[in-house]
Amino acid sequence: MKKPGPMTRSQVVQVRKLFRKTRFGIFALFAVVVLSISLLSISTVSRELRDEYVSNSRSIAKNIADSSVDILLNRNLATLQSLIDQFVEIQSIRYIYITSDTGEFLAHTFVPGIPEEILASDPNATEPVDRSLPGLGDFIEVGSPILSGVAGTVHVGMDLELLALTIQRAVGQQIYLLCIIMVVGVLASIWLVNLASRPLGELLDYVAGLAREHASSDRPPDDNGILVRDDEIGDMARLMQFVADGADDVRESQGRRGG
Amino acid sequence: MLTRRSLLHSGLGALLAAPWARLARAGFVPDPYARSVGATGRPKQDDEIVLGVSAAFSGPSRGLGTELYRGAMAYFNEVNDNGGVNGRRIVLKLYDDGYQPDPCVANTISLMQDESVFLLFGYVGTPTVTRVLPLLKKFRDQQVYLFFPFTGAEPQREPPYGEFAFNLRSSYRQETAGLVDNFVRIGRRRVAVFYQNDAYGRSGWAGVREAMAAHGETMAGEATYTRGTQFGASMRRQVEILQARSPDAVICIGAYQACAAFARDAADLGLHIPVANVSFVGSENLLALMREGREDPDEHTRFLVNSQVVPSYEDTSLPAVREYHELMSRYDPPPPDNVERITEGEPYDPLPQSFVSLEGFVNAKLITEILRGMGDEPDRSRLEEAVFAVRNYDLGVGERVSFAPDRRQGMQRVYYTVPEGDRFVPLEDWETRFGPA
Repeated sequence: MKKPGPMTRSQVVQVRKLFRKTRFGIFALFAVVVLSISLLSISTVSRELRDEYVSNSRSIAKNIADSSVDILLNRNLATLQSLIDQFVEIQSIRYIYITSDTGEFLAHTFVPGIPEEILASDPNATEPVDRSLPGLGDFIEVGSPILSGVAGTVHVGMDLELLALTIQRAVGQQIYLLCIIMVVGVLASIWLVNLASRPLGELLDYVAGLAREHASSDRPPDDNGILVRDDEIGDMARLMQFVADGADDVRESQGRRGG
Repeated sequence: MLTRRSLLHSGLGALLAAPWARLARAGFVPDPYARSVGATGRPKQDDEIVLGVSAAFSGPSRGLGTELYRGAMAYFNEVNDNGGVNGRRIVLKLYDDGYQPDPCVANTISLMQDESVFLLFGYVGTPTVTRVLPLLKKFRDQQVYLFFPFTGAEPQREPPYGEFAFNLRSSYRQETAGLVDNFVRIGRRRVAVFYQNDAYGRSGWAGVREAMAAHGETMAGEATYTRGTQFGASMRRQVEILQARSPDAVICIGAYQACAAFARDAADLGLHIPVANVSFVGSENLLALMREGREDPDEHTRFLVNSQVVPSYEDTSLPAVREYHELMSRYDPPPPDNVERITEGEPYDPLPQSFVSLEGFVNAKLITEILRGMGDEPDRSRLEEAVFAVRNYDLGVGERVSFAPDRRQGMQRVYYTVPEGDRFVPLEDWETRFGPA
């Protein structure tokens, strides 16, 4: 029967490479977690910010509608224009227009003119509607009736590009944080895997030494540090030494009988 | 006794001014530099009446603020050189708002609270004045009135703010109604509007809409521009929008830089119809821009017609116009160099005469008369009463002026002018010049 030869250095390295799979697994797991959380975050932030936009638009439209009653009844359109000009200075509001109960445009903030799409739309609509106005951009528009609609309707258009930018910023911050956590997690996992693989490597070295001694009768010294470890690696080393010693005894007794 | 006058007249004045002012602010000595009006509503200084002005002295509309000021100063200089009003000099405290509402509000608060001016005078623009009106209502107990703003908008003529302002000029409603009436009369019934997209533009737009409705018509079309647009900007898009509506005439409610750009691009794109402007435009500034550097200076101006709220400064048959010519020549007031909060100090080339400076001159003439009517002890609590005492007063412009609690606008006439060379002259016959379509 052919005796097993001593383990070479390359065999030892190959054994250590087994831990690379663990590292890859951890990295992949983190990536899946980051991706899932990012997608969920984009969806949640997008929905919530859009809802908030619509809610803000409604509040502003209602505010203007409430403030407009006396002004409209006094036929004071200059003051009405002044009022909506102040609101349109608020970031993200891109346009405001006020229509009469008959659909006539009484005041607006469009330059160089009222877009055809707006002219063709229902002047008394109040439900949120997405609009794409050539040369101006994409908007969410909401309306609010003035005096329950008998005096007209206020329409407020919020910039969707700014909304998209806000979403990008909010999601970007979350992804940035998750990426930092992932990098720290991967580095920590590498350190932990190394912590586990180093004693295993030492055990492997020790066992390889025992095998070499078995082949060459050159035993590794009994003061090897691994034998004094109080963990499972130490136990396994001592077990290996016991098995090797047993094998030596068997070989010696066989030699005496045969000699 | 150590008084301001004795200090100033002594050589110690300049030396002691700063520490004295600090002591005054701490309340240890009387404030020698306190301006204008005390809590009682009377001027603090017995030799001055300070009028607070916030107007456009910078930016694309600086020509309006500057010319209005120059016209007023021509008259105030004459008054001050002749002993002032009952011994008090009339002094203007100037702030620049660049024709922007927010600075105008801040300036007005400073004028009312820090400068304690006797009254507010010669403001320029609807978007600015419209935003200031609520301030006057808020501080109504101080009885600070706004006199003769350079705007024909309705907010300072109607409730809820009409009681805090006095107007001399005709309103945009009157100007636009006159323009529409004349266009309709000569068969130009499809009238479109090009306007500044703010309270001023809307005020004129509303005037045109109302006037068209009176003739059973609606506006043929509308196009807008943003306040502060310069002459160099393109207005081709606006012209195309209106061209698509095939109007017979366009009424512009804007400032001279943008309106000049629009008239230029309209002519270049073949929109050969009358282009009317209201008085606020600043006719001479508009004309100068449109003629400057052109091979044919009249190329872009043939179809212009501007409404005015004062008579032509060429009409020397009117006593006020003769006086205006004489005093503008004598004093030739330079653009102001003591303006607070001015944002840009661009050079400005003053006009010898203009409708705007004539309006400033007439404003100054009437406010002086009102202040004189208050006697030796001017008091803001009696200011309204002094204004209502003006009845059938002849300003020398061919129209008598009256004020009453239900009449807070002095003049009612509108004049129509067309360019002739480098100035605007009275339009004699609409039919011959512009009709029929």
